[in-house]
Amino acid sequence: MDLRKTHIYRYHVEHGNVVDFGGFAMPVWYEGIIPEHKSVREACGIFDTSHMGRVFAEGPEIEKFLDYVDSNDVGALTDGKGVYGVMCKPDGGIVDDLIVYRRSPESFLVVYNAGNRAKDFAWLQKNTKGFNVKLSDMSDKIGMIAVQGPKATEVLAKISATDPNTIERFHIAPLKVSGFDCLAARTGYTGEDGFEVFILDDPVAEPTKSLKIWYDLVAAGAKPCGLGSRDSLRLEAGLWLYGNDIDETTNPVEAGLKWVVKMKKPYFNGKKAIEGIIEKGITRTLLGIMMTERGIPRHGYEVYDGDKKIGVVTSGGVAPILDASIALAYLPPEYKEPGKEVQVKIRSNMVKGKIVKHHPFYDDSKYGWKRVKA
Amino acid sequence: MTNEIRYDLGCYYTNEHEWAKPSGDVVIIGISDYAQSQLHEIVYVELPKKDANISQGEAIGAVESVKAVSDFYSPVTGTVVEINEALMDGPEKINSDPYGDGWIAKVKPSNWDANVSKLMDAEKYKQHVATLKH
Repeated sequence: MDLRKTHIYRYHVEHGNVVDFGGFAMPVWYEGIIPEHKSVREACGIFDTSHMGRVFAEGPEIEKFLDYVDSNDVGALTDGKGVYGVMCKPDGGIVDDLIVYRRSPESFLVVYNAGNRAKDFAWLQKNTKGFNVKLSDMSDKIGMIAVQGPKATEVLAKISATDPNTIERFHIAPLKVSGFDCLAARTGYTGEDGFEVFILDDPVAEPTKSLKIWYDLVAAGAKPCGLGSRDSLRLEAGLWLYGNDIDETTNPVEAGLKWVVKMKKPYFNGKKAIEGIIEKGITRTLLGIMMTERGIPRHGYEVYDGDKKIGVVTSGGVAPILDASIALAYLPPEYKEPGKEVQVKIRSNMVKGKIVKHHPFYDDSKYGWKRVKA
Repeated sequence: MTNEIRYDLGCYYTNEHEWAKPSGDVVIIGISDYAQSQLHEIVYVELPKKDANISQGEAIGAVESVKAVSDFYSPVTGTVVEINEALMDGPEKINSDPYGDGWIAKVKPSNWDANVSKLMDAEKYKQHVATLKH
């Protein structure tokens, strides 16, 4: 099968361990997951995120439309500000999580998961009925590189025409990088400070601008990072992975995403169902587990309390910064108190762990964006 | 990317990349250089149990990297007489020295001749690996 290539593909094949990731040829690692993970927690790493879905959403009714498909308060955005949210089906199941940025009153940028590109665009299109809006899938027309870590600003500043530090968290602004017109958003998927840089007008068939920026970032001191560390970093930060921790069979309330669902809005997709879920109460909730005995919990492993099966691990693995193994799992709400002991069935062994806070798993005075002053 | 795969000429190998090496009255077992290079960054080893009676082809433990879990199938039938406890705190020894410090267990074989007839020598195993490389 022919894999789809991203803007940075030429670098990946030369330097990385490339695999099939949802149909895209993507690197799992270049040097190794652990050193790449640590570079992001301690300095600056870069990720090719050009496989993600990016849509220019425009028109006189675009704000109204996005407020209808997105659970969060898109209407409250001002120019240059973004918001994380979810798109729900009428039954409250999650179609995808996404970030919506307002560039101007009638022009927004929507960013969602690579694995859901076709599904999400079709979902958005389908929901435009009755709205005066225009959606353009830009995923193959603009590049995207995430620059992450406590030194991300310093590294990006070296190749930018203006100071990226003027862009506040969850804001987006035009930035000239390596001389090319880009948009820089102060977000990421690692828990650290950093930027997602959108390289405008750079078709994937001839991605000269994105490649030039990638090489300039490497020369400026950034460490290229693959999908392996992207996953271990987001897990350590307690961030949701679509397909693992959330999907169309999970709702935002049990996923711990109630904070992105704005029930005060008069209407949005799934609102009625979510009202019902809140009223009835949830039977399971996404919790963090840290292993207290040796063993690595992984996606699909069962969680027990003694003889009783109480849930399933949705994401799990080693946390390189914590020197421990951690997991996210859907468990009955009565287990939510930190310190409560559970067991994870790892092959034939029952391995002990305990419930811990997981947004993030690490101490956020030592790691993560909160320790970095913007 | 990957360096040249190393082979220990004194070892006998399985299709699943375990090795067995006779040494006195025991057989030392582990995973091959190819296996460790495929797994990369080994972070955990579930060792077989000491004194356990094991059979050739039986899953007796696991080797885990950051991304993947690989079952460890015994290349030999017999009794586990020693396990490499040093791997608990230093699983990366399998990456750095798969045929030496990265050994997994020592087994007192009960029918080595029958076992070895089902294993590959280094030359044959090298050909096997060649068919897997893309």
